[in-house]
Amino acid sequence: MTGMKKPTYNGANLLFALAMAFFAVFFLFPVARTVSEAFFVNGRFSLRYVMDVLQDATYLEGLANAFRLGFWSTVVAVGIALPLAILADRFEFPAKRLLTTLLLVPLVLPPFVGAIGIKQILGQSGALNSLLSLLGLVNLDQPVDWLGQGRFPGMVLMTALHLYPIIYLNVSAALANLDPALEEAAENLGCPPGRGFFLVTLPMALPGLFAGCTVAFIWGFTELGVPLVFDFTRITSVQIFDGIKDLGKSPFPYALVVVVLALTATLFFVSKRLIDGRDLSSSGRASTGRQASRPLHGPALRACLAFFICITLLALLPHAGILLVAFSRDWYLGVLPNSLTLTHFQEALGHPITLPSIANSLRYAGAAMVLNLLLGVSIAYIVVRTKVRGREWLDVFSMLPLAVPGLVLAFGYLAMTREGEPFRWLVDLPPLIPRESPVLLLVIAYAVRRLPYIVRSAAAGFQQTSASLEEAAANLGAGPVTTFLRITGPLIAANLIAGAILAFAFSMLEVSDSLILAQEQRFFPITKAIYILFGSLGNGPFLAAALGVWAMLFLAVAIIGAGFVMGKKMGALFRI
Amino acid sequence: MVSITITNLTKRFGDVVALRQLNLEIRKGELFFLLGPSGCGKTTLLRTVAGFYQPEEGTLHFDSQDVTRRPPHRRHTAMVFQSYALWPHMNVFQNVSFGLHQKRLPSGVIESRVNKALRTVQMDAYATRRINQLSGGQQQRVALARALVVEPACLLLDEPLSNLDAQLRLEMRSEIRRICKDAGLTTIYVTHDQKEALSIADRMAILENGDFAQIGTPQEIYRDPVSRSVASFIGESNFLAGRIIEPTKRLGFWSVETNAGPFEGRITHPTWRPKFNDRVSLAIRPEGFRMVAEKPPSNSVQGRIIRSAYLGEIVQYWLDVDGLNLPVQISCLNPRQIESVSDKVYFAETRPEDVSILSS
Repeated sequence: MTGMKKPTYNGANLLFALAMAFFAVFFLFPVARTVSEAFFVNGRFSLRYVMDVLQDATYLEGLANAFRLGFWSTVVAVGIALPLAILADRFEFPAKRLLTTLLLVPLVLPPFVGAIGIKQILGQSGALNSLLSLLGLVNLDQPVDWLGQGRFPGMVLMTALHLYPIIYLNVSAALANLDPALEEAAENLGCPPGRGFFLVTLPMALPGLFAGCTVAFIWGFTELGVPLVFDFTRITSVQIFDGIKDLGKSPFPYALVVVVLALTATLFFVSKRLIDGRDLSSSGRASTGRQASRPLHGPALRACLAFFICITLLALLPHAGILLVAFSRDWYLGVLPNSLTLTHFQEALGHPITLPSIANSLRYAGAAMVLNLLLGVSIAYIVVRTKVRGREWLDVFSMLPLAVPGLVLAFGYLAMTREGEPFRWLVDLPPLIPRESPVLLLVIAYAVRRLPYIVRSAAAGFQQTSASLEEAAANLGAGPVTTFLRITGPLIAANLIAGAILAFAFSMLEVSDSLILAQEQRFFPITKAIYILFGSLGNGPFLAAALGVWAMLFLAVAIIGAGFVMGKKMGALFRI
Repeated sequence: MVSITITNLTKRFGDVVALRQLNLEIRKGELFFLLGPSGCGKTTLLRTVAGFYQPEEGTLHFDSQDVTRRPPHRRHTAMVFQSYALWPHMNVFQNVSFGLHQKRLPSGVIESRVNKALRTVQMDAYATRRINQLSGGQQQRVALARALVVEPACLLLDEPLSNLDAQLRLEMRSEIRRICKDAGLTTIYVTHDQKEALSIADRMAILENGDFAQIGTPQEIYRDPVSRSVASFIGESNFLAGRIIEPTKRLGFWSVETNAGPFEGRITHPTWRPKFNDRVSLAIRPEGFRMVAEKPPSNSVQGRIIRSAYLGEIVQYWLDVDGLNLPVQISCLNPRQIESVSDKVYFAETRPEDVSILSS
């Protein structure tokens, strides 16, 4: 066998090295640096600051509140998403396609923008109280506080409404992937259909549900925008955000970030351990046709439709609120705005913050998407198709951004771009980059955080495309690049397009990176512009709402487009 | 153990008729095969018996009970799915015991019956394995054990061996027959592998476009095919076009004129009878021919060998015969020497019993 040459992957090795270098520099290094800042004080190792954080009543309360927000919003989101996913999987009803697409609408609005709208509707002087007082149910001198004492239930509601689509997509993907013969086999052995669902189908969908819950919990646990809009300061994310001001002086923000990171990373790895080897959803489709989902009739149909419509209306409430605020001349203590106007849209477009922020966001998100595609396709290719040594690590790394909250990463980037720090060059690269411009930082931060979605969808594409198709092309004389462009690329195009659209949309929506990294007005992305407008006096909130409507429209088109390209496979993007 | 009676059964999917007015009776304890090309309706019929499909017309009886509208979980059929449909979140024991738990049997009984079933399929050493730790053949045995352990009224097998390699397929098919016969099970077995069917079936049905083309024992189907499609689907056949001349002295035998010369053959269809000068097809199996040294007066072909294939136990020749479009295929058992391709003319003879006269 002396003539046999071991297969070599020169190109793949180079890609591997580049991808690993990117992760090392822009992910591991900032995280490690942040961690070390918390432990090394004046060059000496010390647990003092981390211990201080864990003993400080304010920080502890913040952590407890963050945990409660993550936990309850996940619980509420599961309560909403699980029944919806089961109904949509098993039954047929009119307008199913429309209703299931509408369910995804909450993805198109950053929850903190929705929070502006929901305050206008459920606040003490909001629309609901006015409506109830018109009906004589509420006395406006003693309005009901629908958002709850301390605004906590409102925050849970907003976060859950934003997160349930992720769980819904996960569970429906898991259910759709199951071989229907598995449940038929149970029925065949004497198990009635309802029980078969709980004994066979649900346990196999559990890993999908669990993966969705982990992502949702980490999201809720580190949510920054919603507490900011609700003026809820006793929560870790806001405490870190406020700590940025005295970044140079105090190690406490670092210590707090490390505690958050430790918690999310532990949760991520524990749940990954639990799920690994248990991901059963890919157990293959049967050769026999899937029995069409059963049509519903009579009261069952009405109940099912009512449930779908109620959830959709509830989910649309913040959007409706934002829309009404954007159109209202003045809205205080009324079921609907007192009078409607288009001036906010005009003014929003004329305001010095808004148009540049839209242009900025398009630029940042677009560049991040390109970077994402290049990295994501390379990583997926290396992991699925090659035997490059160390590719397992690349796979693990590419999923890590799900375990590391945006807050942590943004914080690390910001800390490392101060004068004299290692990433200083990223914001000070004349003439390419204007001084103090966060362009590169934001693009990289956006790209790193969305990478798992792109890698997942590209890897799914590679796995579904038999390697023999590529071998056939190589056999006929096509090189690796030609093979990708002519054979593999077109075959996995749907996955890539959907992944790219999602990455783009989520980058446009990104809150924590945007709020933390964009410090100067001329570099603001949309989300930061909305946040600043919301906090400004006069017609600021109305302008913020108008800008939110623009962003909403834009993202709705993008996400519904991705949904149509990917269909049910979209859920596969939100796995860990 | 039940008998299965299918009466005027019709199943449609939208406008497509998958099963057309089928009538069939499967006897108690019979190992019955459904055969046919892909898309002929054999799996549809099996799934209708299991209750996963509801027929539009007709009835289905287990013994004298009408089960047409009975839901799958109350039919006491046990099915082995083509994909096996083993539950990956349960181990081997849990998979096999599932059906017994549904019957709410005491756990001691369940355990002994599961162990017995696993022993039957020689999987007792693997009870605690997870499904994804098993090979294809092992999974197939577990699927079989899961079906057998509930002592079903009838056993339904949907291409159970299609995912196995050739050697294992051979072992498992005689194993399946032994198990079915030992347990006295009424069994419906769907396959497209004719060797599987011929070797172990009590009776079999050939399905074609949702209709039975022929029902009978393996020998009846192979020896007495009633149509060209059955003759070509089961085994190999040479087809010679010809015209009916007259009945011969033997009852059911007729003489036929073909381009290769005169033949005497047998009508294998139970009711069809030809008239003088009718166009017919003669179906002759390759092994129905025998090489002879001199030209016989009738029932023979002559020509040059244009191709040969040596398969060990037999050798196949293709004879280019004057007047026939296709070469005639001939098999000789236990070949000691192999004729080579040359210009030499060979003669091959067949007996009237081996010639089926079919309406063309």
